This record gives sequence, structure tokens and C-alpha cells, in this order.
Amino acid sequence: MASGKVPLDEQHVTEPCGAEGGERCLPALHPDRKEDRCFIAYRPPPIECSPALVGEFLEHAQFIADDLEWLLALPHDKFWCQVVFDESLQKCLDSYLHLAPRGLDPAMLPASPAVAEMQKRLHRSVFMTFLRMATHKESKENFITPAVFGEIIYNNYLFDIPKILDLCLLFGKGNSQLLHKMIENIFTQQPCYYNDLEEVVPTVIQVLDTILDRCGLQREGATASEPLKLGARARETPMSISEKDLGDLVLYLCDSCTTIHSFLDIFPLACSTFRSHDFVHRLASFYETVVSDMEQAVRKRSFEDKSLQDDLWRRVSHSRRKMAEIVHLLLQHTCLQPILEGSANIQIFVEDFLQTVTALLPEKRFLADYDEQFPVSDDISLLQQAFPSLDETRTSYILQGVLSAWESSGRKRPCPEHPKG
Amino acid sequence: MVPPRLTGALRSFSNVSKQDDCMVEAYDLKAKRLKRQELFSKEGLTWKKVVQFFNQHLEKSAQQTASGELRNVLQAAQQIVGADFGQETIESAAVFLFKIFYNKDQVGHEETRAIRQMFGPFPSSAAGASCAAIGGLAALVDETKLETFVLAHSSNATSGCIPFGRNISFCFDSYALDYLEGLPWDSLEEDDTSLDF
Repeated sequence: MASGKVPLDEQHVTEPCGAEGGERCLPALHPDRKEDRCFIAYRPPPIECSPALVGEFLEHAQFIADDLEWLLALPHDKFWCQVVFDESLQKCLDSYLHLAPRGLDPAMLPASPAVAEMQKRLHRSVFMTFLRMATHKESKENFITPAVFGEIIYNNYLFDIPKILDLCLLFGKGNSQLLHKMIENIFTQQPCYYNDLEEVVPTVIQVLDTILDRCGLQREGATASEPLKLGARARETPMSISEKDLGDLVLYLCDSCTTIHSFLDIFPLACSTFRSHDFVHRLASFYETVVSDMEQAVRKRSFEDKSLQDDLWRRVSHSRRKMAEIVHLLLQHTCLQPILEGSANIQIFVEDFLQTVTALLPEKRFLADYDEQFPVSDDISLLQQAFPSLDETRTSYILQGVLSAWESSGRKRPCPEHPKG
Repeated sequence: MVPPRLTGALRSFSNVSKQDDCMVEAYDLKAKRLKRQELFSKEGLTWKKVVQFFNQHLEKSAQQTASGELRNVLQAAQQIVGADFGQETIESAAVFLFKIFYNKDQVGHEETRAIRQMFGPFPSSAAGASCAAIGGLAALVDETKLETFVLAHSSNATSGCIPFGRNISFCFDSYALDYLEGLPWDSLEEDDTSLDF
């Protein structure tokens, strides 16, 4: 075993070599020190509970669980040799992130207690493996030079943005503090992840555009009344697409909103990158365009399976909530928080907040729903306290716009609760 | 079938992930079992050492009985691994069976699972026969000596290491649907009311 108070990346070990009892000196982090373990890829639990399928799952998962437990028990140097040089391990972990059931997946609960127990065992081991992989200093003796750690995790794709998003969705519910530390350390030691995030946000926006396209809705900037070619099929709508396609779109929307929300909630430092792509306005505009059509389709279409209809409705409703929460997180962390913390350039943040909310005024359905969860008047009153010279004309204009959004929605705005005097 | 996911799209359409398809990897349990057998055979205890142990610790009169039982264990091991394998594999399987059954009276669920995990489907009669033969062998020697012998040869690369994360508390909760409202069935029924008199 390599040891000493030198970083792992600078350590060397002497190992037996050849049949004649010779020895050779190797860097502690070297492919030849990897064990040939042959990790296998993960398979999700069976939907049906037949003994054959359950047995197959258990057998398969047992191998992975045993292998990961073996990996976690390895000394620091051996663990890192395995992680960096064993491709089968990376594929195994990646397959888990791809395929492990999420809490939001339809029918995600395994019916067999043995399957549930095994799934829990795997779930914990996978998380602990990623946690160890995100830790460059395990103890006083076992550590990696931070800059080298950053290179190792980035160059070997031990972490990438989709993996980090999957980790947030799979483990974030009850382990947000640990995940926050992990992700913060990853981004601190390897700032290239911020560049990757910059690259990913346009693809997230593209996903929203894809949902709009599939719903036959025009994204912002597209020509609204483009004539159809003769013989072309009529544009599909949520009412006209197949029930399965509608279901898939709702699932896609639900997963996308929950994933983005969990990531921003766990790692608020990513908020400014999303903001820099005008994500607040794009999301609000997407909401405005898609929510009503989807809700109408789910309500008015005739479903053979009423429980499916109910499930889809809840998913649209969940997505609505998450979209408002995403916008709130973005405003909270990029405008309100710095104002409340008394940042040096407070006026810039105030201006940013006012401009952003003003730009949301035309998105009436979104604004009314947002205001229901996060009253805009509360934020403005906070701003007035933190920044007394706030332009009252602008704040009145915003509050008037919020009222108008409520009126357009045809719903009654809940009265703010006043403490009894 | 995996539901459509945002991260699936990000992997496919952004340029930040390793571009290989982990799903192409075969779920080859046969290869995995062979690898497990190979790793087990390097763990320390060999069939030769087992035979030596009984030769050293038994009177001449008991040695004949032991030889018969050792043969039975090898025979059962052959039935479990199949006829296609050589003596080395059979002996390694016999050691595996020995480690499983040396302190057991019968073939329980755990033992069946462990054998299946290592060798795949196997005839249950062979497991029963090996359990009985190993029980016969264990009855011939002092229990503590046998235990010490097996443990002394059970060292592996990770023994003595505390698994990472053992003391870290982990929460199994997962995100659930957090919806504002259920489907408004009442208004739905109103919508369906036909006004076509």
C-alpha cells in the first residue's frame, strides 16, 4: 500500500515483478495496479414481480453491490487506481445513473421486499462511491493534490454535468448537504465545469423548444403564421398526438423541471450561469405557451385509463410548481440574496431584479401562478427596506402588472394574511 | 423502458460527456461468474491445503473416512461447475463449497444463493451431497482448529479496511410529485355536459 504524507499523485510503490522475485517501482496511481474485477452494468428492477425476473435482478444486483462494497473497502491508492483505470466500473456507475428508478417515475416501487432491499443497498453504495470520488482529501495521510484531482475527475469523465444532474435527482432529496459539498468541491477544484455548464444550458433550452415543437407550438421568435405546404400533415397539438406521445411529453417536462430545480437548489452557484442565458424569461415564456395547452389536453381528452389521466394532470401541476420555483431560485440567488447581504453594487442587483420582473409582465399566466407561490409584493417590500431609494413608479407598475395578470387568469388572488393586532 | 429524461438529451446533444454507449455493454453473467471464480481461486485456501489439514489432524483410522468424504466433495463440485472444466476449477469449487459448509448443518437460502451467484444454476442434490460430506469431515476434527484453519486462509486484499462511508448517514428519501392540485373532476364533468339539444 502507498502511504506517507505525500499526495497520492506523487507517491511511488514497489511491487513484485516477474516470476523470479524481482521488483519494480511504479507511480501509486498506475493502470497496472488496477484489479481486473469486471464490473457489470446495472439493470433496473423488474416491473413485474415474477420469481424468475426477481431472481434475475437480485443475482445481477448482488454482483454490483458486492463489487462496490469491495471497492469502498479498498485503501485510498487502490480505490483511485480502480476508479481512474477501470472502464467497466465507470460503465457500471453510469448505467446506474441512467437507469436507476427515480421517485417520480411511474410505478417505481418494486413490489418485492427483497428487490427493494437490494435496490437500497445498491443506492447507498453508488452514492458512497461518488462521494469518495468527489473527495480529494480523505484523511491527513490520504489525499490528492487539488489541481491534479481536478484534472483526474475532468479528463477521465468521472463527473460531467449530466452525471451531476442525475446525482442531484437521485440522491438530493435527503442528502442535499453532502451533495452540495461534493458538487462545490468538484467545481472549485475544476473550474472547467463552469464552462461545461455554459455549454449545457443552451441544450436545456433546446429541450424546452423540443417540447414546444412536439406540441405543435411556436417557440419565441418563430413565425406564428407560417403557411403549411400543400400535402403537408397538419401541425400536431397536445389534443391530436397519440396518448403515448402526450404521456411521454408530460414525463419529459416533469423530469426536466425537477432535475433543473434539484440541481439549482443544491448548487445555487449555478444560478448565474442559467441567468446569463436569459433562462428566467425563456422559462416563463415556455410556461406561458405550453401549460394551458397541456392542461387542456390532459383534461379534455378521453383516456381509457383514468388513473393515467390523473397521473398526467399531477405531473403537469408538479411541473408548473417546479418552474415557478426555478425562477424563484434564480431571482433569489442572483438578485435578492446579494441585496439582502448588502453587496457593494446593490443598485446593480436592484436594477436587475426590477428589469427581470418587468420583462415577465406579459407572461400573465406564469406571473399569476408565480405570484401565488412567491408573492412579488413581498420581494418588493423587502427591496424597499434594503434600498429605500427604490423607484416607486417602477414598483407600482410591476405590482399593477401582477394584479392585471391575476385578472387575466380569471382567478381570485388570495388576500395577504395580516397578523392580528 | 426508461422514461424520457433531460440528462439523456444532455448526454446525446451536448459535448460534455464521454461519447460511448454504456448500454452496449453486455450483461454477461457467465463471464462475471468466471471472473469471480478466478478471483476466489487466488484468495489463499487451496484444495491441497484442505487435504493436508485433514491428513495432519486425523488418526490413520479416521483418514480413510476423510478421504472418502473429500472425494465426495470433489464429485459434488464437479456436478456444480459442469463437465467442461478441468481439475483446477473443480478443486477451486470444492474449496468454495468447503468454506460455505464447514460450519453449517444444512443447505439454507443463503448458501444456495452464494453457490448460484458463483456458479450459476446447479443441481440441488450436489449442494446437499457436498454439505453432507463437509459436515462429515468437520465432525472428525476439533471445531476450533477447523475454524482457525479456515480463517487463517481467508485473507483477501481488503480485509481489515473500514469501508468508506460506513459512518456517513445516508437518506433513502427520493423526490415525489409535489402538485398544486388534483384533476378537477367536477369541472371536467361540467365540460362534458352536452348542450346539443
